Amino acid sequence: MNMEFSGFPYLSAILLSCVVGLLVILFIPRERETLVKWVSLAFSGVALALSIYVYCAYDRTHGGLQFVEKLLWVEPLGIHYFNGADGFNLPLILLTGIVHFTGVLTMWELRGRVKEFFAFVFVLVLGVFGFFMSMDLFFLFVWFDVSLFPMYPLIAIWGTTRKEYGALKLFLHVLAGSALVLPGIVYLAIASGLHTFDIVALMQPGVLTPGQQKFAFFLFYIGFGILAGVWPFHTWSPVGHVAAPTSVSMIHAGVLMKVGAFGILRVGIFLCPIGWEFWSPVMAVLATIGIIYGIFVGLTQTDLKYVVAFSSVSHMGIVGLGLSTVTAEGLNGAVFQMFAHGIMTALLFSSLGYIYDKTHTKLIPDLGGMSKVMPLASGYFIVAALAGMGVPGFASFWAEVTVFVSALKVYPALGVLAIGAMVLSALYMLRVVQRTFYGQRNERYVQLPDLSFSLGLPRMILVVVMALFGLFPGLMLDLIQTAVIPFMNGLPR
Amino acid sequence: MKWLILGPEIYFLTVAVIFLILSMTRHNRRRDFSAAVFLAGLGVAVTLATIRLEGSLVYGAYRVDLFSQVFKGLLSIGFFLVVCLCSNLNGIEEKRHPEVYLLLATCTLGMMLLVSSVELLTLYVALELSSYSLYALVPLRSGGGQQTEAAIKYFLIGIATSALMLFGMASLFGAAQTTYIAELARKLPGLLNTPMAFIGLLLTLCGFFFKLALFPFHVWAPSVYQGAANQVTAFVATATKVTAMAMLVRLVSMSHGSTSLAHVLIALAIISMTYGNLVALVQKDFKRLLAYSAIAHAGYSLIGILSMNPTGYAAAVFYAFAYLAMTFTCFLVVVKVASDGRDLAIVQLAGLHRRSPLLAMALLVGVFSLGGIPPTMGFTGKFLVFNAAMERGYFLLVLIAMINVVVSLYYYVQVVKAAFLLEPDEELPSIKLSVSTTILTALMIVVIVVGGLFPRYLFQLATATVKALL
Repeated sequence: MNMEFSGFPYLSAILLSCVVGLLVILFIPRERETLVKWVSLAFSGVALALSIYVYCAYDRTHGGLQFVEKLLWVEPLGIHYFNGADGFNLPLILLTGIVHFTGVLTMWELRGRVKEFFAFVFVLVLGVFGFFMSMDLFFLFVWFDVSLFPMYPLIAIWGTTRKEYGALKLFLHVLAGSALVLPGIVYLAIASGLHTFDIVALMQPGVLTPGQQKFAFFLFYIGFGILAGVWPFHTWSPVGHVAAPTSVSMIHAGVLMKVGAFGILRVGIFLCPIGWEFWSPVMAVLATIGIIYGIFVGLTQTDLKYVVAFSSVSHMGIVGLGLSTVTAEGLNGAVFQMFAHGIMTALLFSSLGYIYDKTHTKLIPDLGGMSKVMPLASGYFIVAALAGMGVPGFASFWAEVTVFVSALKVYPALGVLAIGAMVLSALYMLRVVQRTFYGQRNERYVQLPDLSFSLGLPRMILVVVMALFGLFPGLMLDLIQTAVIPFMNGLPR
Repeated sequence: MKWLILGPEIYFLTVAVIFLILSMTRHNRRRDFSAAVFLAGLGVAVTLATIRLEGSLVYGAYRVDLFSQVFKGLLSIGFFLVVCLCSNLNGIEEKRHPEVYLLLATCTLGMMLLVSSVELLTLYVALELSSYSLYALVPLRSGGGQQTEAAIKYFLIGIATSALMLFGMASLFGAAQTTYIAELARKLPGLLNTPMAFIGLLLTLCGFFFKLALFPFHVWAPSVYQGAANQVTAFVATATKVTAMAMLVRLVSMSHGSTSLAHVLIALAIISMTYGNLVALVQKDFKRLLAYSAIAHAGYSLIGILSMNPTGYAAAVFYAFAYLAMTFTCFLVVVKVASDGRDLAIVQLAGLHRRSPLLAMALLVGVFSLGGIPPTMGFTGKFLVFNAAMERGYFLLVLIAMINVVVSLYYYVQVVKAAFLLEPDEELPSIKLSVSTTILTALMIVVIVVGGLFPRYLFQLATATVKALL
């Protein structure tokens, strides 16, 4: 058997902690709800610890692909079990670990079908982790779909507003995306003449002709773009986010949309760089429309969750804009924005979820003056909203600045439009904050309790992470740089 | 000693004789069932023991090789699994139970003879033996009138396609002056541009299109799936499909990559997938839905066969393995939920997640496997099939098939939704599964997931199987 391992397989250990967590949960009797939660917390904690370890232990001076685990899986087809970590996927692996762990804590008060909920969440997170670390197209696709299908039961069973509609819409949209990705993947493996699904082998210059790259990139851009919320394929995302229960919204907006963006990066841009340059103006236009559209539609919403969901569309537009610049800074900013937006939006959904759990409403006119009722929960929301506006001191500030600076160089007109829209977005978030948390207090909610310490903990973790990478952006930008620079230098020019 | 290679066939003939005798004694439900399970289990062992044997009999008309033996093994497993479901054979009168086992055994025997036949007349006789057993099995269900309608539809369409097939064989004989498949395979590539040989081959394939419920021979499927007893439907839906896939691989490989044949098959595959999936969208009855999904799956499996390359044939064989496992799992749930032998509407799955979490999970895995979602065998089968088609440059075909997969997910999700989300109007008791059923259900889940994630050995087996053929 053909094997290649560099030391202890930490990446597989992350996957394994999810699998074992899932199996243990399946064998716990369903009445033991607290036990299920503790087991989930323990195994998500292990996964988080491992992802932090991998993030810190990555050797930045050497760069390249590290923690490589490669195992020949199906020989005649050229399928490998191939995991690796580089500057592109490490931030996202860390993000997944954080959001999963805090998501479990956020759902501590869940009642009803607890066992199934946490089992499905483990399947979802397993898929996401696997997707980020896989360097083989076959496994990448397997993990991609594994991360998608639990969304249906998670939203349809535990969701709220129009949950069945939202769940079905989301499910069919994102799987329609995968219907484009799978033919694209098989096409690349066959058309290259190599009959392998190994990304490293396929990304060598000259393996794919420019024509093949342009064609395949289009498939991947649309296929993964649906999941990344690229305008005009974003329509599932607000409906899905609103319908989903809190921690699923967190994982979904925080992590799963990044799966789409990362797919464009890892499969589209890595394997079809010529196609990337060819389509980049289209990407830039769609991304800018997405940014502006998300903000303008968000301005008119009265449902808090819709507001946050549309802000996700516009923030994912920033990721798209960064990717479309075909510059090192753009890529750097896009990856950082994926991470920053993931943490920020998880915090938004998480604090919003608490308010909704207590007041049973998420309509802005029904709330008001919440900062006097629940100062802590409101505080977390306001912090996240400020981060979303791009206030310095939080991670998203650096990400957005990097993206906009490079966008201004490459597409001056679109860059100005996008920056103008971001100024508007400040207005829109402040409007929401002002109406929901300040002003006249709604007497109905006066006696509601504020966040307890244990429920505040996950929000606290997210704030700390946001501030940490906001104050020391080098912690992440330098890491991303180790992957971006060699990649951009290797491009055929 | 020469006759030892006929071990499985002789064994299943004996089983049929035993049930013939039992059917004449006083009926005893428990005895019949235990005898059937024991004999079927032994049948799997006997068949798997002969898997490595090779040989040729009856002037070369009957060949035993890895291809035939693997499929015989698969058929004996299918027979065993379906017999395991017969513990609550409530759709059929008790005194007829031995006859059910008898006919299932003769049908299995017929299909075993079929996969070994390498001569057109032998092939036809074997096919009819298996068909007539099924014609008799379908109307055995008690009550209502729908089983009679189903049986008549099945019979009339069946004999009509048999006539077409005979006509095709006659044309093939006229064109090539031989009925031996090996001889035909040698002569056909040069002859296929003549209308007589081409139409002859196509009409010969029709007999198996009928078994596979491929468009335009699909009309019987919905009525038969719904009209026959649940266990009989399970057998029709698994074992006969597997045989049809095997025989199509054998016959299509004779043409050595004829493009005109491939074009006809592409058209049939596309129509079959699209038709099956679109009609399935509006179905209310679960078995009927599975019938339309089977029509769609006939199209998917044909994609592997029409690629006409070794990977494609191997992919089709793998697809047959996967199809057996996932369809059986769905029928397992049907039989256990509708334990009184009634038809099962999709809404009657409501509350299954509470009534039996294990069955609900099996349904989730089985249905998502049919829908082609990883990590299941259904996904891996589709992936292999698409890979083979892409090697031949059929990009558009793969894209159409993937769009079909997304369409099909809509109705598969409705099933999952019914089982996990809907609550029944009145409180239903939880479903008690016996220990053996629990083990069987869990085993099926494991097989589908593990077979999907670790396709290596099964795919190697499929490749080796196909090598025996080419």
